[in-house]
Amino acid sequence: MEPQPVKDSSDYYKHLSLFWTDIIHLMSSKPQALASVGPMRAFASNAKKISTELIEINESLMGFNQFVTEYYKQLAETWNVAQKKVNLKVPDVPHDVEQMDSFKRIWIDIFDNDFTELFDSVKFGENYGKLVSKELELTKHWNNISNVILQSANLPSKEEIDEVYKELHSLKKRVTKLEIELKKVNKK
Amino acid sequence: MKSESKIDPKILEEILKFSRNVMDAPKLVSAPDEINMEVTPHDIVQEIDKTRLLHYRSLTEKQHKTPLLISYALINRYHILDIQPEKSWVRNLLLQGFDVYMLDWGSPTSMDKYLDFDDYVNGYLDSSVEFIKNESSSEKISLQGYCTGATIATAYITLHPESVKNYVATAPVIDGWRDTTVISNLAKHMDVDKMVEIIGNMPPEFMYYCFSVLKPFEQGIEKYVNFFKNIENKKFVDSFLRVEKWLGDTPPIPGELFKQWIKDIYQDNLLIQNKMFVGGSHIDLKKITMPIFTQVAVGDHLVSPECSMPLHYAVGSEDKTLRMYPTGHVGMIASSLSQTKVLPELGKWLAERS
Repeated sequence: MEPQPVKDSSDYYKHLSLFWTDIIHLMSSKPQALASVGPMRAFASNAKKISTELIEINESLMGFNQFVTEYYKQLAETWNVAQKKVNLKVPDVPHDVEQMDSFKRIWIDIFDNDFTELFDSVKFGENYGKLVSKELELTKHWNNISNVILQSANLPSKEEIDEVYKELHSLKKRVTKLEIELKKVNKK
Repeated sequence: MKSESKIDPKILEEILKFSRNVMDAPKLVSAPDEINMEVTPHDIVQEIDKTRLLHYRSLTEKQHKTPLLISYALINRYHILDIQPEKSWVRNLLLQGFDVYMLDWGSPTSMDKYLDFDDYVNGYLDSSVEFIKNESSSEKISLQGYCTGATIATAYITLHPESVKNYVATAPVIDGWRDTTVISNLAKHMDVDKMVEIIGNMPPEFMYYCFSVLKPFEQGIEKYVNFFKNIENKKFVDSFLRVEKWLGDTPPIPGELFKQWIKDIYQDNLLIQNKMFVGGSHIDLKKITMPIFTQVAVGDHLVSPECSMPLHYAVGSEDKTLRMYPTGHVGMIASSLSQTKVLPELGKWLAERS
């Protein structure tokens, strides 16, 4: 069977890592099955998931780095522009307390205005949204890795706990509705 | 070689004084953790899940007939409405003869991630209103909503108009597309589905980030410089620490509720377009016909006036009043202006209808 064509170097890297992870997993699964029982057996059979998550983390990390670099670039550029405005408005070094106070006031006003303008802008909002999104993807990979470890210890995963929460929420709603109905019947 | 520039020795004096104040601060003031945030005496009259209904003890012999329930915001805790005696919103209303209740939403945990608008509007808020009606033998109550608490209260009064006599909307979050604040800019670009799926509840850290981008230099530097400069001013320091402690107490927001709030209010702007649904029921602002008093702060950088004011024009009420005050989001409820201007006007309006 021929490998699927790869789009770029990151895809090739992913394919290469997955290939060797899969082969090693296949080669080692039989001796593992004979040699281990209990949590280590469960962990070994799920270890491939961890490798896959770690490979995908790299992709998310690349995206995260791109947006976090842009985030700090936007902050640095705004800082530089604001500082230039301050320098133009107050060219001399303040010499007394009054001058110092008015310098501080001008500095704060200009910086607050410029940064608020940045935070209000579409370019900041879009980049920040993407940055948070990538951070969430990293968290998801971390959750998935933690789930493998939890399952190896026979503990419920996040998804399983979520199911319980969902069921509880739905039950509570049903009980509340029944209580309201019961009150109405009792009033009659 | 002589230097031509001379530095005023007073600058050095100021720096030394400031350093001394920083060193002396721990000896002069309490740590925020040591401050008790409960000011006006009250009883907890109902608890459902993590929410609590607070009933404030009366401060006058005679009281207006209709009790008032305050639906506080989802961000931070209710303490800002009773921050200290001389700036307390609650205490002022009690002194004007109102019977005041407060709904504390509590601090949701991971277990509460599926709580949604329906639970808050038709569950917690409705249970509180029903409790007060029974307790006070009133057929209707007055309802006040603050900030996001007003979004919930607005949905409530369209679905349960028979229980509410008067409605007070204080800085309500209504028209997300018109909101010009930094918060709305972040909300509009947020992948809220992903956040709720992966994190569950809206984490407090996200809220702290939102606070940190609001006037970052005034709030992040100047505010604390002033605190240390005025470290010997007991009144100033007490007020400062109380507000700071309140700002730092941000509970998570249940995931499903947060998702609907961000999508329906900021991203799709359904509420003001009369397209929002809560628990399967249609929210039509034109159906609001009770007397309504809308309070807006001109300098509000959390909920801009453009976001709040459309409520006044969208409702079907004939008896409606819109008041604008030259202050900010918190200044409208916890300042000397709120005590001398905002609350007397609200009290007069409410008393005439209670």
